[in-house]
Amino acid sequence: MKWPLWGRRNRELEEEIRAHLAMAAHDRIERGETPESAEQGAQRQFGNVALVQETTREMWGWRWLERLWQDLRYGLRGMRRAPGFTAVAVASVALGIGANTAIFSLFDALMLKSLPVRDPGSLYLVGLGVDNPMESLSYRIVRALAERKEIFFGVAGFSRWIFPVGPSGAIRNTPGALVTGEFYETLGLQPAAGRLLMPADDEPGAAPVAVISDGYWERSFSRSPDALGKTIRIGGVPVTIVGVAPRGFTGANVGAVADISMAASTLPLIKPEAAALLGPGNVWLRALARLRGGISASQATARLATVWPGMAERVVSPTWPRDRQREIIDARFVLKPGGTGWTYLRQIYRRPLLVLLGVTGIVLLIACANVATLLLSRAAARQKEIAIRLAIGAARARIVRQLFTESALLAAAGGTIGIGLAWVLSLVLLNLVSSERLPVMFDLAPNGRVLAFTTTAAMATALLFGLAPALHGASAVIRRRSRILPTLVSVQVGLSLLLLIGAGLFEGTLRNLENVDPGFQREAVLLVDLEGRRNTVPRDLVETLLRVPGVIAASISTHTPLSGSTWSDPAVPAGQPLPKRDNAVFNGAGPGFLETMQIRLLAGRDFSEHDGPGSVQVAIVNEAYARRYFGNRDPVGQHLSAMVRGKAADLEIIGVTRNTVHSGLRVPPYPGIYVSYFQLQDDIPSTLEARVRGQLGQAAHAIREAVQAKLPESSVEVRALSEQVEATMTQERMLATLASGFSALALLLACVGLYGLLHYSVAQRTREIGIRMALGARQGGVIGMELGRAIRLVLAGIALGLPGVWIASRWVKSLLFGLAPTDPATIAGAALLLVIAALAAAYLPARGAARVDPMIALREE
Amino acid sequence: MAKGEAYQNRIELVQGTLDLLVLQTLLWGAQHGYGIAQAIRSGSGDVLQVETGSLYPALHRLEKQGWIKSEWRTTENKQRAKYYQLTAAGKKQLASEGERWRRVTAAIASLMEPRESGGAL
Repeated sequence: MKWPLWGRRNRELEEEIRAHLAMAAHDRIERGETPESAEQGAQRQFGNVALVQETTREMWGWRWLERLWQDLRYGLRGMRRAPGFTAVAVASVALGIGANTAIFSLFDALMLKSLPVRDPGSLYLVGLGVDNPMESLSYRIVRALAERKEIFFGVAGFSRWIFPVGPSGAIRNTPGALVTGEFYETLGLQPAAGRLLMPADDEPGAAPVAVISDGYWERSFSRSPDALGKTIRIGGVPVTIVGVAPRGFTGANVGAVADISMAASTLPLIKPEAAALLGPGNVWLRALARLRGGISASQATARLATVWPGMAERVVSPTWPRDRQREIIDARFVLKPGGTGWTYLRQIYRRPLLVLLGVTGIVLLIACANVATLLLSRAAARQKEIAIRLAIGAARARIVRQLFTESALLAAAGGTIGIGLAWVLSLVLLNLVSSERLPVMFDLAPNGRVLAFTTTAAMATALLFGLAPALHGASAVIRRRSRILPTLVSVQVGLSLLLLIGAGLFEGTLRNLENVDPGFQREAVLLVDLEGRRNTVPRDLVETLLRVPGVIAASISTHTPLSGSTWSDPAVPAGQPLPKRDNAVFNGAGPGFLETMQIRLLAGRDFSEHDGPGSVQVAIVNEAYARRYFGNRDPVGQHLSAMVRGKAADLEIIGVTRNTVHSGLRVPPYPGIYVSYFQLQDDIPSTLEARVRGQLGQAAHAIREAVQAKLPESSVEVRALSEQVEATMTQERMLATLASGFSALALLLACVGLYGLLHYSVAQRTREIGIRMALGARQGGVIGMELGRAIRLVLAGIALGLPGVWIASRWVKSLLFGLAPTDPATIAGAALLLVIAALAAAYLPARGAARVDPMIALREE
Repeated sequence: MAKGEAYQNRIELVQGTLDLLVLQTLLWGAQHGYGIAQAIRSGSGDVLQVETGSLYPALHRLEKQGWIKSEWRTTENKQRAKYYQLTAAGKKQLASEGERWRRVTAAIASLMEPRESGGAL
């Protein structure tokens, strides 16, 4: 096999040698020899033409490349000759690498990828706090920071926002962001068309304008330049599109696509009831800061510390309690590297993704062990071939290299397929973490980092599974009963055990969460979030709901459990001093809320239509509150002093309910107080809830129609309470699903490995088995013997895996709920599953062994 | 078999020596591989026989070094052959290596013939 690129040079060399021979022959003829003898003499004198060519070619310097080409050709031919082996090996590597790449690309998108902005490395995320800095700041603080031009080049405040876009009656909620005026300038972005938002757009009274994303431009306007200057209706207000953000930039909030971005100061126009967000008390913006040239992060924090007390006067509210004002003024700014943007997802998914990276790493190890097993078995079959090659003078190093090239080929093929698999898998994954209410979008196109990761993984794989077989194979004599093969299979079994236990633990956690009694009935309840201030909500909306066919109970409230937002305020039995910190979770509930949610009333009564603005302010407390503040006394009829949304209030307790979960299923119930929805006057969020009978979809449709008719300016979206509960388990569900999937994969690979080993060992011991059978061993006995071997391997694997469980338990502990990482039932279950699967895998080769015909077996050698 | 017999009338050439001889041969003009081998043999009175297995690698090595260059020409007998020719770098190499060679052989000769060198002292 010659290196193809050297074709011309090879031909020239051949011609050069031919010329040499011709001239030598010519000379001999001149000396009187016959032409035949002259030619033969010239040949003889010249020597081995092929050898001369070979040694000459080495002088060209590219010999190693030529050899590599040879090895590759040889390896490819070998792969073609053993399609079954090749398919299993390539599939193992592809699955292992695909799983790793998928998880890594998600990890990369979430944790490592820089925002597509100018010099992301010099952006800092601004936090404020004493010990535990908050990453959320108020609008006023961000504006005040942006003014410190001696410290900052610019400060970009931003928050995710959903805009109701479209004409009355056909409103579509569109994901977007509210940003401060310096947002685009700070990030250093150039518009794809038109202009981006400027500080002037973020002044009170500025005309409402929007910048749209490149994707939105494409989807809604087909990239037409006419989109610029067009007005779209947002919350019923005409908003002018002034520009398109650069392609690839979808906001600083990683994972959330901002199709529409508007200046924060326009909030009172497009959503009057949310105007309070611009006030001092609301922390809702994240801020990315770019420092002035020549100022380091530590210099910036030091300077901020000196100027902050003076600034703080302007950004705190004088109506706050003294302590709270003091706390803010005493707080210090913290700058963290912010080039990767911000997302709440990081907090939630960091550890699960790290655990999953570990899981997929183990899957890859198992795949490696699997391929190594296959290669070793094959090496045994190729013993003769290799012995011949060694005998005719092949260098041992050359054979090691040859065998290793084959491994590298397998890894490369597997890796290539793996990248494709990873792409599909990462989309599935994204689907698992994304929900309709909080869509998660990432650009998962493989980038340099991901490809480097995959390449490294593939190369490491080749090294791992190729080295042992290569060294092993090149030693001319293979020991009959190598210890490597059984050890590899046991390692596979041990690693699979680890993953099975992990999957069991995550599944158990999910089951435990699903079985948590939330204190209400999640099924058959539909929710409608209302936009619009409390005062503008039509009073008869609940009555409208009750008239919808299928609705058996309906109510309105400020909050619903597990919606992701809670309201807390301080409240104590009358006569006691109010605590500095909020000590109760509040909810403003209308009459029928408890009935609709089926929260059991333990004592007293529910709110009624008489608990309105004019009458005595009433409250219902939950068991936890009653126990904490009233002990064994009956709280009904007692009074509470509370601070309800900034106003001092005296509340009469009219009832006690069961506890419900508030912010999460894992969080134990907190002391809670329900106040009467119709006694609240503030701008507060509102949600309608309806318990329905019969088909949920039909009822949802009917409710949507009825509510939309009442509120033509709003986007009415009906969702199920059960989905809201489900959404709090997204992370656990993702972990459980993926861990189960990957451990099933691991189990399959381990079984293939076990099957391969036993099959090979039966083939090798045909003679031995034949003799046993000839001497009277029964078929059952032979099967038992083979299965016994399998069980011994599995038990050895389990013994290997158990210490790993103990080590890994520290990692997953915080992700579990309701069971310990060393849960005995889970471990026993996993081990049992492993044994059963192993027996199934071992049965085929064992039966094969039992079918050995003693006569044929004995004749074989 | 033929090895013992060949050993008497042929001296195996050390690698560097062959390179030097090739360069020296080419000093008289361009020549093809066969011609070079012939020239070395006849020039040494049939003492030095160049193995083709050493000659061709040496030619290609020298060409890669840039000391010689090659071109296809036709011999008087209408045979197309690859002619090698010294380059400027090759001439320089020949000068310095040739000088070194002379010093080394003189040193060896003085060791092999101690009486003569003793006289020189």
